[in-house]
Amino acid sequence: MADASATTMARAGAESRLTRARRFWSAAPSAFRIGAIILAIHILLALIGWVWTPYDYVARVGIPLSGMSWEHPFGIDQNARDIFSRVLYGGHIVILLSVSGTLLGVVVGAALGLTSGYLGGWFDEAMMRLFDAFNSIPFLVLALLASAVAGPVASGEPLLLVGVVALVYAPRVGRIARGAAQTVAIQDYVMVARLRRERVRDVVRREILPNCSGPLLVEFALRAGYAPVLIGSLGFLGFGVRAPLPEWGRMIAENRNLIFTTPEALLAPGIALATLVVGLNLFTDGIARLIGRSTPHAGA
Amino acid sequence: MQILALCLKRTATALLTLLLVSLIVFVAVEIIPGDAATRVAGRDATEETLEVLRQRMHLDLPPAERYLTWLGGVVTGQFGDVLTSGRSVVEILAPRVVNTLILSGIALAIYFPLVLIPAIFQAVRRDRAADHALSTITLVLLSIPDFVLATFLLLLFAVVIPIFPAMSTIDERSTFFDIVNVSIMPAVTLAIVMAVYAVRMLREGLIDVLDADFVRMARLKGLSQRRVLLRHALPNAVVPTLNVTALNLAYLIGGVVVVERVFSFPGFGSLIVDSLKLLDAPLIQATVLLASAVYIGANLAVDIMAILLNPRLRKG
Repeated sequence: MADASATTMARAGAESRLTRARRFWSAAPSAFRIGAIILAIHILLALIGWVWTPYDYVARVGIPLSGMSWEHPFGIDQNARDIFSRVLYGGHIVILLSVSGTLLGVVVGAALGLTSGYLGGWFDEAMMRLFDAFNSIPFLVLALLASAVAGPVASGEPLLLVGVVALVYAPRVGRIARGAAQTVAIQDYVMVARLRRERVRDVVRREILPNCSGPLLVEFALRAGYAPVLIGSLGFLGFGVRAPLPEWGRMIAENRNLIFTTPEALLAPGIALATLVVGLNLFTDGIARLIGRSTPHAGA
Repeated sequence: MQILALCLKRTATALLTLLLVSLIVFVAVEIIPGDAATRVAGRDATEETLEVLRQRMHLDLPPAERYLTWLGGVVTGQFGDVLTSGRSVVEILAPRVVNTLILSGIALAIYFPLVLIPAIFQAVRRDRAADHALSTITLVLLSIPDFVLATFLLLLFAVVIPIFPAMSTIDERSTFFDIVNVSIMPAVTLAIVMAVYAVRMLREGLIDVLDADFVRMARLKGLSQRRVLLRHALPNAVVPTLNVTALNLAYLIGGVVVVERVFSFPGFGSLIVDSLKLLDAPLIQATVLLASAVYIGANLAVDIMAILLNPRLRKG
């Protein structure tokens, strides 16, 4: 009997969660719903591409530039590789690099920014000047500079790219985190924690961070939405992941001279990247509206 | 007096930031793996050649001293010689900067009508089909990465409807009009990328203002639609858009890097990429510092304008 009632309760819990999810879904802004659907399709395709593609992404499968066909929907590039398979395989590379780079940037930026906003004083002043200096280098130029000075050995490593995205984002997130922390730092419970002589690390983690999670979440979504563009731009300019990995920006660059003969070789990765960013932007816009914040300019 | 003090303080902060950027750029170039002398002379150079080269490039001096020497040069407008050809950095930089200034000027000339016309049209036709259609278009354009948009436009105009040259071929002998001709496509791309966000901002602003009492009053006075829009509504809706325009100027500095590359435009942006590809330290330092200086200068100008326009500070 006890077993049965436990099952019933569990089912009731599951059902209420389901209805809650359904209610949330129907109450959410339509932009959010469209974004979530686009994003879900992209993630699904990326997962499929990770484990299976019609052809291997480096295999020579046919006559180069022989155009579109049922076997090769987006044609074949000048190295005789199937472009559809390459675009499909590229999905998880773009998404994984974007998410991990953004995550690292937000974590580092939040840690520095929240501490800075809580402490104030000379530390805050120094951090702000440093953030301002990094933010004054146009972000693409900063990203290029960081990937170039890493040298030819490290260049093209996916880990370097994660670090570059984090380096570009950390000072930008830091500024936002600092602003949020300043409003929390004057609250009574933070004062109490300070008077209890708790360690800075503990106050920031237990008192400040939980009360700044809203802006930080929006910040993460916003930055993650722009990361594919940043990574694609770097790839397009020749500072992205190493060949033959089919990151979309890289693919657009390497198929650039095919623009007159087989434009679909450029269109396919271009449309993949554009739809991913559209989905992410709509999704972020929805999250921001749900939390009640407007989204700042993504490029800034 | 208060205004002057605020402006001076803001300028001092900007200069401090620029100084920090110069330090970041110098350190960044320092950590490039390997020795600059080896990069210039090649792997097969003898130790004596390298030693001579290091002395000529002052690589034997401590980093702090080299930083100060370099900074002193920058202040007096001397950026040294590029590693690859031995020509002075300024000599290489100047024509590229001129090309990019022409490009940016054309882009801005296209930008303003591209923002005003759709935004006013949308605000007047609010919630009609045309408004929704334009909103969708701007949202999609907002999400297309600039190099993808540039590639699509290149495809459209150079291949499907060939009016403009696909590749920018200009050199020292090109006239001003040659440069303008090859600038149009990259300029259109930059203008579109900058305009989409501003259109959305201005539309929202205009819609808010059109509901305000003073606009209703103007309408009730029997003023013409055009006069209500241009004289009463627009000036009050344009301020937030000005901020976006400042952000867009900042974007423009990074945007030219990608867009110039797509159209093979020989400007400042492609020079940054080239200098980083070649790991040409003096050229990297000069280009990155210049890009940041423009950014800092643009932000400073906007902030000072905001201080001057703020009526609460005017009495001081």
